[in-house]
Amino acid sequence: MTVNIAHLYPELLNLYGDKGNILSLKHRLLWRGIEATVREYSIDEDVDFENTDIIYIGGGTDKEQTVALNRLLEMNEQLVSFVEKGGTVIGVCGGYHILGKQFVTENETLDGLGILDITTKKANKRYVGNVILDTDFLDMPVVGFENHSTVTDTGDLKPLGKVTFGNGVTEGVIYKNVIGTNLHGPLFPKNPQLCDYILKKTLENKYSEVTLTPLDDSIENDANNYIINRFSK
Amino acid sequence: MRLALSVIVAKILILIGKIMGTKSSSAPGRFAMKICPDMIARLSKQVKKEIIVVCGTNGKTTTNNIIYSLFDNVVCNNVGANMIDGVATAFAVKSNIFGKLNADYACIEVDELSTLKVFKQLKPDFLVVTNLFRDQLDRYGAIEITIDALKKAVDLLDDVTLVLNGDDPLVTSFGMETGKKCVFFGVNEKAGEPLNEVKDGKFCRNCGKELSYDFYHYGHLGNYHCDNCSFTRPDINYSAKDVDMSKGLAFTVKDTRVSVNYRGFYNIYNILAGFAIFDTLNLDTKLFQKMLSNYKPQIGRMETFDIGIETVLNLAKNPAGFNQAISTVLCDKRKKNVIVAVNDKPSDGCDISWLYDVDFEKLKDANVVRLASSGIRHNDLAVRFKYADLGESYDYEDIKEAIMSCIDNGAEVLYVLVNYTVLFSTQNFLRGLSK
Repeated sequence: MTVNIAHLYPELLNLYGDKGNILSLKHRLLWRGIEATVREYSIDEDVDFENTDIIYIGGGTDKEQTVALNRLLEMNEQLVSFVEKGGTVIGVCGGYHILGKQFVTENETLDGLGILDITTKKANKRYVGNVILDTDFLDMPVVGFENHSTVTDTGDLKPLGKVTFGNGVTEGVIYKNVIGTNLHGPLFPKNPQLCDYILKKTLENKYSEVTLTPLDDSIENDANNYIINRFSK
Repeated sequence: MRLALSVIVAKILILIGKIMGTKSSSAPGRFAMKICPDMIARLSKQVKKEIIVVCGTNGKTTTNNIIYSLFDNVVCNNVGANMIDGVATAFAVKSNIFGKLNADYACIEVDELSTLKVFKQLKPDFLVVTNLFRDQLDRYGAIEITIDALKKAVDLLDDVTLVLNGDDPLVTSFGMETGKKCVFFGVNEKAGEPLNEVKDGKFCRNCGKELSYDFYHYGHLGNYHCDNCSFTRPDINYSAKDVDMSKGLAFTVKDTRVSVNYRGFYNIYNILAGFAIFDTLNLDTKLFQKMLSNYKPQIGRMETFDIGIETVLNLAKNPAGFNQAISTVLCDKRKKNVIVAVNDKPSDGCDISWLYDVDFEKLKDANVVRLASSGIRHNDLAVRFKYADLGESYDYEDIKEAIMSCIDNGAEVLYVLVNYTVLFSTQNFLRGLSK
């Protein structure tokens, strides 16, 4: 088995240690004897959708995010069909917002890719801090860090989780095999169960029935527990 | 009268701080400014010659202290308190109780986001910008915010010369956008260990296209140009040539050979900034090397101890700083232990996702015997090491235990790389162990 990961525009979108998420996806496959490739795309390359299983889009500054959006709009038809066929997309921060129908930058409101039925508006403050979520599909809470001045209306989409510490009621969305969230920190190294969840979905979409061999996650779990013990009551 | 009273209050508070053993470099200025809100303006007007301000993400304190060492009779906030309160304290220290200041120069380090407030009162003749890197994102939002703040602040100054790192495209375009007089320093040749780093300034601020580089020094510093518009590395007025980093640091600038006994490529920039000011003021550059020797590196900047094993303590506050430290570790070929300790207190920055922007992967080839993580976020460091594929690492809540485990295990040198709030307790502990 092989999983091909496309890391979109890391030279533009890398604001919050996004490399950590890529390392997590890759190593957790390799440690199980599953082949993994990571291709870093630069802005002038066309995405090879045929040979891609996971598309990762990180966060950038307003300017960089807009450059990335314009490039992705050129490939939007293929991206939509990739998602509808069960391809995995992970969008963090700006990479999450541009997947929606509309989002804001410091100066303007822009039409996004429309893959997720969400709209992101400007908040009147900046949300900065650690966040803890409860999900209905993982045993362990999801922990992360948020730093944004936006509010995302996720409509009828399933949220990634309920906020038990941090701002707002819910955070992020899951739609088919797309995960969108404001949480970085980065997300996957401290949430191995979430990383495995999306890897399993990815493998199932490609190879049908799949079981992931358990890994020793004691170091990751300690980091996850630390945040929970420090911030949850 | 108000001015004199504010100076007296500041001096009393500094004295109380000294007696209580609490280093207070901000509070005295803060209270003094409640009495006389324009005390900085009124005191700084009395500086007889030049006022020099240093800004930039990394190297502010070192550069400011180097410049300070080049002059006599100087007002300086050399303890690194770089917000407006700290600036006020520095001027109060140098003033007499009647509000009279006897100083020829002022060398003041100012936090980039504080420049707007400070420059309403303090009018520098020179503004040095060392570099602009990603730093503590939870405080700064993004680098763009910092540049905008600096531009607004510089707009308040009529007659200022900007002394800029021309190897940094962000600093260079900032300088050009201000329309002020600019003097550039830089390094004209490739030197040091290449690292795989996040580069913040790779895009042309003029036209948005990606910049091309002939070579990188570190981060986004190097010899760059835009293929799409006219933006390019400027003509460098003060460029370092014939760089030698095998023992300490040596280079040539404008026919002057400079050599110092401390390490770190970034120190070339810090010294060049000082040289640029020295020469621009038409001072005798033959005296530069002699004056420079007055400068001693501060605590925690590649500071060495002998605790039974040669130990090097280094402070880094952000990915660029840590990457520079790792690059220095790589230059040392001996068998070594490495301890990395990271806290997430407010002055460190609460967001530690930048750990993944540090090229810890390079430690794989660094001849490391024992690798340990510590500090408040030791768990996250342990995860970072695991995903960097560094093999076995040791995890210590208490850095003292981490250090004790690294003294007698056959390694020849111990590197302790820490961020801000880990520094002082670690340094005290190492001093206590020193032979």
